[in-house]
Amino acid sequence: MNREQKRAWALVSSMSLAGVLYVAALVGRHLGLVSLSTVLFVAAGVVLGTGVLVCLRVKPDQGAVTSDERDKQIEKNAYLAGFGAVYLFVIIASFAPIAIFGEKGSFPVTWCPALLIGAGFCQAYAMSVATLIQYGRGGKDEQ
Amino acid sequence: MNNDHISNRIRRLRFDHHEMTQQQLANKVGVTRQTIIAIEAGKYAPSLPLAFRIARAFNTSVEEVFEYQENGQIGT
Repeated sequence: MNREQKRAWALVSSMSLAGVLYVAALVGRHLGLVSLSTVLFVAAGVVLGTGVLVCLRVKPDQGAVTSDERDKQIEKNAYLAGFGAVYLFVIIASFAPIAIFGEKGSFPVTWCPALLIGAGFCQAYAMSVATLIQYGRGGKDEQ
Repeated sequence: MNNDHISNRIRRLRFDHHEMTQQQLANKVGVTRQTIIAIEAGKYAPSLPLAFRIARAFNTSVEEVFEYQENGQIGT
């Protein structure tokens, strides 16, 4: 497993777990379990932060060659997947308020910058998943 | 649908060349071992320059290492 795979695993696992905790926190808040939802929000933040930290601290690969044409192609495809995911995210986020609040509904414009954060997460997740899918299983073959 | 496939004899050639390891071949042609594994398994088609480098590592021609198959048929 190379550096990119390790980083992708760290991001996918932490973001998935943080996402589950965040949804659980929202449900808890909806049900009136304020203290539990607060704990879950904090836990989601800690999990996500840990994932990002691990991702940043993955050591560079050892050996004479650490990256080649296949790695570059995988990286390029991953960026493409990330771009596609962001594009889809923005489209969905643009129409979701109409679907949720209706034609005459409204929401604070201060929510809009959250779209950027959401798009960032969306891109990181899509890129990581695309990286892992392209590398696939293997690497434990004979020497 | 495109069913083209490039098969190869890298594994056979490695064993014929003093049981060369995947890592040794990778170092020789300037790629990672993962890439050699992917090429051997037919999961990745190498670029033309890399195909030539692999062939040179075995002192043979590209045709001796790689075989182009179209729709499951062996081609030339």
